[in-house]
Amino acid sequence: MTSSLEHQAASHAPLSLDAARRVIRRGFAITAIALLGVAATYVVAIGFTPVEAHQGLAQKIFYVHVPAAWGALMAFSLVGIVSALYLWLADPRLDLFAAASAEVGVAFSAVMLTTGPIWAKPIWGTWWTWDARLTLTLFLFFLFVGYLALRAALHDPQERARFSAVVGIMGLLLVPFIHLSVYLFRTLHPQPVVLKPSAPSLPWEMLRTLLFSTAAFTLLYVGFVTVRYGLALAAEAKALRDAG
Amino acid sequence: MPAEPPANGGYLVAAYIVAAVILLGYALSLWRRARRML
Repeated sequence: MTSSLEHQAASHAPLSLDAARRVIRRGFAITAIALLGVAATYVVAIGFTPVEAHQGLAQKIFYVHVPAAWGALMAFSLVGIVSALYLWLADPRLDLFAAASAEVGVAFSAVMLTTGPIWAKPIWGTWWTWDARLTLTLFLFFLFVGYLALRAALHDPQERARFSAVVGIMGLLLVPFIHLSVYLFRTLHPQPVVLKPSAPSLPWEMLRTLLFSTAAFTLLYVGFVTVRYGLALAAEAKALRDAG
Repeated sequence: MPAEPPANGGYLVAAYIVAAVILLGYALSLWRRARRML
């Protein structure tokens, strides 16, 4: 561990436990605001958004499922991008950020993969179907669970960062396939209603709630990642202090 | 006269509770790790 920390201390600003504490506190403040935003999403979705005529109340799962999917795919995309930057620049902070984003992405994926089947059952008549969109999304989840397991198993920081960066980039390659899978394959999963070449195909009252919820989940991603990154900085600072 | 929407509000409640449990659980795990670390 010392070699990586010496490398970091030599090439970047010295790690400070106080600085890590500030990052963590800032992250918790953002998380608290974002959780209030998610709670407000529940209120707006249930009380102030029209009920879809064909799907009934179950359609409102959309306001949690889609922003969670957005958060997960954003998190995993950033892992891949930052991992590529790590392999280029060898800055350990990029590796710490990638690990933070991967963990938060797994949490958001858990929301996506549980709310999806609960929505599917009353609408499709089945909890799950092995079509391209659902299967690829499940594979992406397992890939990043594996990413976290790999990180936990490797003790040399530079080896851990290098190996996990490669896995992170592999995950990034899956993301566009997942987005395009509803166009490329026959699937029960609906096509995008917002992220598509033409204008969003949602009534304004529904689109407004979706955008609000997406903003709340994006802020929650920022809060979670900030805390998780701060925790990693604090661990590195403690290790550096103990080594010195 | 339009048909009534299907009565499936239970699925909505279940999904919102599951999402809240996962997100609050993760927030709590970060909180516990921060307390242990600092």
